[in-house]
Amino acid sequence: MARSFELNTTLSNLRDLKASDLSPYDAIYLGNITCRLYEANLLERPDDLREAIAAVKSQGLKAYVTSYAAPRNDFLPRLRKAFNVAAEAGADAVEVHNLGVLKIVREAHPELPVHIGGFANVYTDAGAEVLKRFGAIRITPNYELSLEEIGQIQRQVEIPMELLIHGKMPLGISDYCFLLEYEEAWGMKCPDLCQQDLFLRQGNWAMKSIGKGVLSGHDVCMLAHLLGLAVEGHTHFRIEAVSESPAYRLEVGRVYREALERAFAGIDRTEERWWETIRGHARIGLCNGFYFGKSGMEYVGARRGAEASGLGRPGTDLLQLSQVKGVIR
Amino acid sequence: MSRILHRVDVPILLAPAGDPTAAVAALESGADAIYVGLKGWSRGGAKGELTGEELLEVLAAVHAQGRKLQVALNVIPGQGERRYLIGRVAELIGWGIDGVIVNDPGLLAELRARYPGLSITASIGAAAMNGADVAFYRDLGAEAVVLPGTLSPDELRAAAQIPDVRIEVMIHMVEEFLMLGKCWMPSYYRVNPTPLAELQGEGSRLVGSVKRGGVGVCFKVCEQPWGLYLNGQQVTERLLPSRQISPINQVSDILDAGVDVIKLQGRSLSPDLLAPLVRRYRAAIDAWLNGTPLPPVHHEPSLDQSWTVARR
Repeated sequence: MARSFELNTTLSNLRDLKASDLSPYDAIYLGNITCRLYEANLLERPDDLREAIAAVKSQGLKAYVTSYAAPRNDFLPRLRKAFNVAAEAGADAVEVHNLGVLKIVREAHPELPVHIGGFANVYTDAGAEVLKRFGAIRITPNYELSLEEIGQIQRQVEIPMELLIHGKMPLGISDYCFLLEYEEAWGMKCPDLCQQDLFLRQGNWAMKSIGKGVLSGHDVCMLAHLLGLAVEGHTHFRIEAVSESPAYRLEVGRVYREALERAFAGIDRTEERWWETIRGHARIGLCNGFYFGKSGMEYVGARRGAEASGLGRPGTDLLQLSQVKGVIR
Repeated sequence: MSRILHRVDVPILLAPAGDPTAAVAALESGADAIYVGLKGWSRGGAKGELTGEELLEVLAAVHAQGRKLQVALNVIPGQGERRYLIGRVAELIGWGIDGVIVNDPGLLAELRARYPGLSITASIGAAAMNGADVAFYRDLGAEAVVLPGTLSPDELRAAAQIPDVRIEVMIHMVEEFLMLGKCWMPSYYRVNPTPLAELQGEGSRLVGSVKRGGVGVCFKVCEQPWGLYLNGQQVTERLLPSRQISPINQVSDILDAGVDVIKLQGRSLSPDLLAPLVRRYRAAIDAWLNGTPLPPVHHEPSLDQSWTVARR
């Protein structure tokens, strides 16, 4: 089992960067992948991006520059500028969700390490192999994959996989922001609209609206499974907190920092205070995403029969991942 | 002689067919080529896929008229499934199909390495949106890349400037709230593995997953009413935006931009809905070829039934 790991998160703009205590994290992805009009999006502001990279690095953290999930042709010049800034300012890597953008980065900045983002649709070992051949050094597989499938890819292709271990999982991206329809009725304008507390609900189904995309309503929570992830050889973890408050970033980040350190020391125990923090920040509930081969909204606790909402009683006694797989098959 | 590798001198009208009678209707209505789904291996859904026997029947009909047939294999197969599928493609090539449509870069690369002469199209599910994407898929081995009809003629012009790859535009399509190829909302709520009979327990389709489903792929949670909550209070109930696009009056601009293939969505369309749709686009392409204006009847796309794509 590896002894070290990386815990990272995402920030969209300088305001969020300045408001956030990033001490639980090892690395920060900079930029908003959803919308060019997101307030002060770092991908649209080269000077801000330069300042953000410097600020992150001055804290001893790695600075990664992300990029748009679905860029149209007129996005590309801005992305080229952002990658130029990334290279000049010493960013540690760029993240791409789009295969054309991968080609652009590799041609313009072959020295920049490239991470593949979750919207790039890596579903198979063959897909991962192609992207490795095109220069990728790390892959966030598509969120629909199970841990079993992810492990298979990691072993076959020998490329690190980055896993979303907590936060709201992206479910899709749109070319159309329907929130703009409410500017008059709500007395608010873009770019404030998508930063409101907005959920779409239908019975017990829920998702968070961010205008040009939707996130899972439930927070993905892998707190009960970190030892299993470590045993499986995973070492890169993300808390997806781009649409969350600075308090969420800090407090959830602290929980996972402590929990990961314990898991990587081989210790098999979670603390009730961790769960209290997690519960306190989960608006709708908890889920495990697709990691256990179920629909993304389900919560597979360490105990058989854990409640789907995840807010019931998440297990405090960890099981090995292999045992957990045994439960859900 | 092609101007550039894989490009065409005369634009192609590529029509869907979900069964042999739809294929005949499309051919009679003026399609230059047909695409079909192979049962269990395409996103087409129960009504949009053909058995091997039906595929052979359609292939004979298409080739008898000197037209071409593409086979959509646009689900993302798992590892064991992929080995089977790659072998199955050899059989399809033996039958004489004119190309396959795929959306996984890994499968595309493997097929290119295994079958150097095979025409491979990067499906709309591959989510290409810009010229750089087109160049990437060309480098990977695609002869053609499908772009969504939501792109403007200027965007298509930029894509068409990428050499040595054919540009297809899905001009008649449903634009859903979440982009095709960038959506896994249905499987977040419900996903059911369904064994693939031909693989005898070695593979399954994930019903509910847009990318890995097959028959009955997506249960369209996006088309159901959702309550929109602001700060915990419901402010409205609404449908997520989606629309039928069919900009037939832009065909000349799109072809002027250098697009090679006008593609129509709708493998689940019945022959009586498909035929008039194909005829209208045939007329639009012919008008462009002849340098004549689009017949007035086609200027404003009507919203009668023939313009409704049955949901996949």
